[in-house]
Amino acid sequence: MANDDIAIGIDLGTSYSCVALMENGAPTVIPNEWGERVHASVVSFLEDGTVLVGNSAKRNIITNAECTVYSAKRLIGRFYFSDEVKKAQAVMPYKIVEGPNNGVRVQVRDAIYSVPEISALVLKEMKAIVESYLGREVTKAVVTVPAYFNDNQRQATKDAGKIAGLDVIRIINEPTAASLAFGFGKNTQQRIAVFDLGGGTFDISILDIGKDVFQVLSTAGDTYLGGDDFDDRIMTWLAERFLGKTGIDLRLNKYCLQMLKEAAERGKIDVGHDGTASINVEGICQDPNGCVMNLADTLSDAEFNQLTMDLVQRTFKVCDEALQSARLTVADLDAVILVGGPTRLPVIRQGVKHYFGKEPMVGIDPDEVVAMGAAIQAAALLEQKSDQILIDVTPLSLRVGTVGGYTEKMLDKNTPVPIERSKTFTTNRDGQEKVKIRVYQGESNQASECALLGEFEFSGFRIAYRGEVQIEVTFEIDANGIVHVSATDQETGQKASMTINLSSGLSDTDIAESARKNADVSLARGAA
Amino acid sequence: MPGVDPVFDIETQALAGVLDQLDYFQILKLEQTASPAEIKAAYFRESRTYHPDRFFALPDGDLKRAVGRIYRRINEAWVCLRDDEKREKYLADINGQDRDRKLRYTESSEEELKRDRDALLGTTPQGRAMFQAGLLDLDAGRYAQAAQNFRMARMYEPQNVYFQEKLEEATRLASGKK
Repeated sequence: MANDDIAIGIDLGTSYSCVALMENGAPTVIPNEWGERVHASVVSFLEDGTVLVGNSAKRNIITNAECTVYSAKRLIGRFYFSDEVKKAQAVMPYKIVEGPNNGVRVQVRDAIYSVPEISALVLKEMKAIVESYLGREVTKAVVTVPAYFNDNQRQATKDAGKIAGLDVIRIINEPTAASLAFGFGKNTQQRIAVFDLGGGTFDISILDIGKDVFQVLSTAGDTYLGGDDFDDRIMTWLAERFLGKTGIDLRLNKYCLQMLKEAAERGKIDVGHDGTASINVEGICQDPNGCVMNLADTLSDAEFNQLTMDLVQRTFKVCDEALQSARLTVADLDAVILVGGPTRLPVIRQGVKHYFGKEPMVGIDPDEVVAMGAAIQAAALLEQKSDQILIDVTPLSLRVGTVGGYTEKMLDKNTPVPIERSKTFTTNRDGQEKVKIRVYQGESNQASECALLGEFEFSGFRIAYRGEVQIEVTFEIDANGIVHVSATDQETGQKASMTINLSSGLSDTDIAESARKNADVSLARGAA
Repeated sequence: MPGVDPVFDIETQALAGVLDQLDYFQILKLEQTASPAEIKAAYFRESRTYHPDRFFALPDGDLKRAVGRIYRRINEAWVCLRDDEKREKYLADINGQDRDRKLRYTESSEEELKRDRDALLGTTPQGRAMFQAGLLDLDAGRYAQAAQNFRMARMYEPQNVYFQEKLEEATRLASGKK
């Protein structure tokens, strides 16, 4: 049988990834050969040229720090000059360097990798997990992204899929996927909020879910807010106290910093679980005399809540925005769903309960629900009689650059997709051969505060006096949330040819080359 | 499977062909007097028929392209008609002389709407200021003062019907209070 009759759902997370498949009509998370259902999104490049991905790679963050890449999702689809990349450079033990067109690259030993190439290795592992489970090849996948991801980030995620040898049949928003899994087989009519706090991003989506139609009413998010930020707060707290006691700043050494990070993450989980965490790291550093020092501290519930209260409050600001966009209040909602590991924290659960005025739904696994939803969507797309339809929205307004660094809005945020909008541009010089437009996403009329998607250069239209040539440019946002731009000469109806400049993305040749390299990589099967 | 029905195939491609001659009410198969609930129901009904995901498994071709075009227009129609203000402006546009050019709600419609809204609130700085003061008085229940301010505003912009309307309202309330 051809292998195109099956498609998997992959939740490609900042910290952890998960893969699911429709089996006997139900979404099922596929474990790896050691029974692990979620896998650290960590890629460790070993000396012998093999690559370790997942929870065993995570253990190498300390021992093989410079050659172990994690949280790549924080970098995907970003420009080298962005704040997020600068921040990552300061804390990541691996080397982040500048690539062509202001792109971001990761250097491991002598090899340079694009961010999609790193994510592709995680996807390759997810693909391998299903393939070893099924004993056959799979080539199609639905991959999830934060709802608030812009076009650059979506495109880069799709590229990662291609590099991993996957046909990404759809990019779907994580909260939307969660709602599909929540509503699956329920046959209800409900208005819900999906509160999705992941390792590196936060999304809130408001949806109407019905028997056959799932309609996203609005979405809002913050791609700079996640569980990692909670770890950071604990790290700073621990480091400051250690500094006060010993006079040594652990943050000055990247090796100590990694131990600290690991301790902070464990501390966060423990304090959430037990109400208090004893944090002990033996041999975290040496004092100036060469004596080995240990870190020992206790983090209480109250202290943790105080350290992170502003982060929790930030999520509710974003919730306000989503409700306002949908012209609703919390009283209009029937249920709240929590997604993402950090939503296990009592500080989040209590905050959510307080904000929405109701208990969040129980019985949903916050780590697995997104992958399950992706699997449902994957099966629905392949099925030829699917009765379920999903109407999602674009999270960001689409804009074109005008003179003086300003932008003009073409499509509003929260507009249902797929959608298109056209605008007519004219030449402003006699004999002009090219028309250039810059396309942005964001909520500011200042170009500098929006994300640049690229500069589109149109040519091949008639050469005439200024103002005589009218070029109709059509902006389309597809069901993946990916933007397409095309142009026609209005009088002749002829399509103008187009080149894209100033884009951080990879070219088709880059992708093909990367795919070849990815196929050659053998994934090490590290022991659990 | 929807695609194997040859009648659906022909009808869909025909619809895609005449899309640019239809207004949003025709796209959603609605009367121009449709209520918000009817508009939403129509949007869902048409989504069930034309949502591209339902045709995803079909091979790429004319039918899929036609469905894509139709569905993008359905979304466009919904975005316009679900908004009371936009719907009102659009209705005036498609029932006016420029119908053929105004079948699609574009950024210039948006600008016109903004201009109209601005015009209502005053086009001269003095008129605008007086009118705003009048609105505050009206809210605070100072009806006589409001009437006075609206009268002043109207002196700067005698053509503004909205100013006139508010003046009448304030005058009526002021006399009622006495």
